[in-house]
Amino acid sequence: MLVLERRHRSIRAGAFVALLAAAILPHAVFAGPEEDRLDFVGYFQSRFPNVPFDEFANGIYAIDEDARTQWLEIEEFPPYEFAIERGEALWQTPFSNSSTYADCYDWPLGEIRAAYPKFDAARGEVVTLDLSINHCLVANGETPLAYNSSEMIDLTAYLAWVARGQKIDVRVPDDEPGSLAAYEEGKRFYYSKRGQLNLACADCHVTSVGMYVRADHLSASLGHPTHFPVYRSKLGRMISMHERFYGCVRDVRARPFDLQSLEYRNLEYFLAYMSNGLTINGPGARK
Amino acid sequence: MAPARASKFIITIAIVLLAAPGVAADINIRLAEAQGLLQQAADAGYEWLETAALLEQARAEMENGDLDNALALIEKAQFQAEAALIQAEREAEAWRSRVLQ
Repeated sequence: MLVLERRHRSIRAGAFVALLAAAILPHAVFAGPEEDRLDFVGYFQSRFPNVPFDEFANGIYAIDEDARTQWLEIEEFPPYEFAIERGEALWQTPFSNSSTYADCYDWPLGEIRAAYPKFDAARGEVVTLDLSINHCLVANGETPLAYNSSEMIDLTAYLAWVARGQKIDVRVPDDEPGSLAAYEEGKRFYYSKRGQLNLACADCHVTSVGMYVRADHLSASLGHPTHFPVYRSKLGRMISMHERFYGCVRDVRARPFDLQSLEYRNLEYFLAYMSNGLTINGPGARK
Repeated sequence: MAPARASKFIITIAIVLLAAPGVAADINIRLAEAQGLLQQAADAGYEWLETAALLEQARAEMENGDLDNALALIEKAQFQAEAALIQAEREAEAWRSRVLQ
């Protein structure tokens, strides 16, 4: 036990040294979000020089021609259409106090999706679209939705649909110190190996991008946040981005975090920033 | 039963009865240690998928009286929790080397 207590102290000491180093080492070693994004985009563009930047919004279908052909046929009768219709009906249904979802947001309907994820200075944490919906419900005396509920997925599918064509434009404001910390936490999560398989998100979606995992190619992280929620054919239902995170963490045999946990919200914040400038094209259809 | 064999049987039963509480107490200590390590791994955000389930299975085996199997499960869980803590310690810095530049 003493050895492990020392180990635990060592972890804390490591984190302290990292923070100290971040404060004093040259900028190139601990780059800011925009430098990170340019390096991130540059990596994928060099790996796939024939894929235009905008195409990365199509996920795996940007780099896997056979899968793309199947996907384009699926898109002729999109399996997510019913979710959009249900989401629109939910959006338009007033709460018991006669307010509506629209009253909770400062943006026109088509711009709500693109406003998230954002760092909420008052709350001191990243707020995603899904979380904002539950904040809205609670503020109006309603019961919050489960994050994997059909209602939540339908609402986010509708908001993604009406936002199609908008660009991802996540900010990490200099005047909100907590935002950079949240971004860095998401970045750390993304590049950290975890679980019994000792794999980081980046091991599959950066280092091994385009390679086979069983019968499928691994997709690029650049563009992942544009198209959620998605209809997954293998599950026969829609899933959120956080449910996908949950599945990936479980697949590397680590204990997954809860949907909308701080860990996943920070991860979404980092990934969405990396995809800034790409076009929102959700909801999507995936295998 | 011959007197000599009867004596051996009684002595064996006595040893088992006297030893069992000690073994059970030892396993309880091992279980608590493994649970503590698992909690440290969870606090660090590095808990592995099946470690908690292994400890649950160990508890069930203890209730069924299969202490050997319970101990084997506890040792497996302890190994996983220690490995997860080593992973957490290493990744506190190692992740930086993977950031795209």
